[in-house]
Amino acid sequence: MIPVYSLGLLGAFASAGIAFYALMRETDGLHRLLLTDLVEVVTLAFIALLGTDLAEALILPGLVVGVSELIALSEIFRIKEGYTRPPADTLQIEVMNTAPPILAALLVIYGIILSGFSGGAVAGLGVIFYFLSRDPGERFELIETASGYSWVLWIIAFFIFMVFPQHWFFAVMLAGSAILVKVMAKMSLIGTMRGDPDA
Amino acid sequence: MPDIGGSDLFVLAFGDILHYFNPYTATLFLLALLFTGLVIASRPERQLDIAFGGDAYYAKMTTVSEMRFRRFMAIACGLASMGAMASGDIFNFTLFVSLVGITNVGIVSAVRIRHVLNAAYEYGIVAMVATLPLFGGAALILGTTGTLSIQALAAGGFAVPLVGKALLALGVIGEGMAPFYAAKAEMFRAPGAPYVIMCSLSSLLIFLRVVEIVITI
Amino acid sequence: MLIISRISRVLSNFQHLVALFAGACVIVSLIGIFSLPLAFEENQLYPKTLDPASSLYPYDRGGVPFGPTEIVAQYPENSPYAGYVTTYLTPLSQYLADHTHYLGTTIVAHPGGIIDEILYNTRGLDTVVETSILFTAFAIASYLYRRREEE
Repeated sequence: MIPVYSLGLLGAFASAGIAFYALMRETDGLHRLLLTDLVEVVTLAFIALLGTDLAEALILPGLVVGVSELIALSEIFRIKEGYTRPPADTLQIEVMNTAPPILAALLVIYGIILSGFSGGAVAGLGVIFYFLSRDPGERFELIETASGYSWVLWIIAFFIFMVFPQHWFFAVMLAGSAILVKVMAKMSLIGTMRGDPDA
Repeated sequence: MPDIGGSDLFVLAFGDILHYFNPYTATLFLLALLFTGLVIASRPERQLDIAFGGDAYYAKMTTVSEMRFRRFMAIACGLASMGAMASGDIFNFTLFVSLVGITNVGIVSAVRIRHVLNAAYEYGIVAMVATLPLFGGAALILGTTGTLSIQALAAGGFAVPLVGKALLALGVIGEGMAPFYAAKAEMFRAPGAPYVIMCSLSSLLIFLRVVEIVITI
Repeated sequence: MLIISRISRVLSNFQHLVALFAGACVIVSLIGIFSLPLAFEENQLYPKTLDPASSLYPYDRGGVPFGPTEIVAQYPENSPYAGYVTTYLTPLSQYLADHTHYLGTTIVAHPGGIIDEILYNTRGLDTVVETSILFTAFAIASYLYRRREEE
């Protein structure tokens, strides 16, 4: 009988070989960027084959590394090819003029009650909706600054865990509030990125 | 297990992730620290292109914001190299190596010269797909031995598969482009001397470190 | 001499870089296939247990919020409070978990459990580096994006 782990590895290695072979043959810049996704998925398969709680925890960094490199590379690709035309004007429907303040406020309040990562996601959804319907203006830099400072607080919380483990409760609360602001800020950027302020 | 790095000088524990220095990694760490200091202190070079057949020359200007951005990336790259030198956990090491890879892309991506951007893009794609051998190698080692700590692996009693080590080395080569300096030269033609050298130095350092890891485990 | 100069000419063209690296990866993948079967070490860190009776099945990661939980860490002596930062559910999820058996199927929205412990406490440094990578990538992208607006 073939052990399950080896069988999984066979599949992962075979997929890696196919993905890299495709990348070897492809010459177009944009298609290469798309093919990297094929490779990233196999990376996750290698980690997931472990099937432990640790594997689940390691998938998160693996995923984040791939996604973040994709962000940077696609921006470089855009600059390199000279695609600088701003996107066309945004969606305009009646609901987007009346509903945003109420819905955004409800979502943000519920997000703050939840706190932590999921709270940030819920609140961020509200802020995305608000920014999508309103003129983003120049709040871009303010949001980035808030995100940067909350990131620092989050990192401080980690070091409290490692250096002063007896203050773990304070660290949990600090991390929970900081990540709320951080996720909310990052998500709200999606709202501001749609469309040009002057359009 | 062969002990090429020498005995441990200092161990710093962060939960499950140990950081340790032995004479070999401490030397590499000091080199990264020294160079990061140099990057912080020094001013960027100004490139001059001389037009052949005349007295004319072009001065390539670097704007202040571009200079600041590239200096930030170079410092981040130095910190990431230091982390990679000190890390005693294979997965943590691979993460530091990925950070080195992406900061290398960042250092050159701010340049507005087209062929430099082309090279940075190609290099970025390699750095991105190199995460497969890196993380794959780390996961394979974890799966077959049940631990990620380099110290525990060095203590012996584990059969680390050769393909795991090969994947790890290949991943570091991809992130740092260590043997492909010829290709990196295209990136080095970007103006701004101390920052582009950081790309080269960091990839050399992570390559030297992975050699130590592969021999030790 | 001729061979070396020919090789260096191919290497010096950065257009060949991706193909070269991908080729090397294909070869290592083949080596990987030929080195199978590899034995799976049963004695893993942070092993996973499945409890079909749990309403969070199959994603119940265990753990009592703010209480001690048994976890298999590499160096337990380095994390004296390991196990305290575990599962929590939002009020809505808690209600659903108490009243249905199928919350586990939507677990993507409910992280937590031992994972929080690993990500925050025992392997916290991994998360620090991971978010630094995200931060760096974001800095690159936003710098390039903002520069376009200046022009």
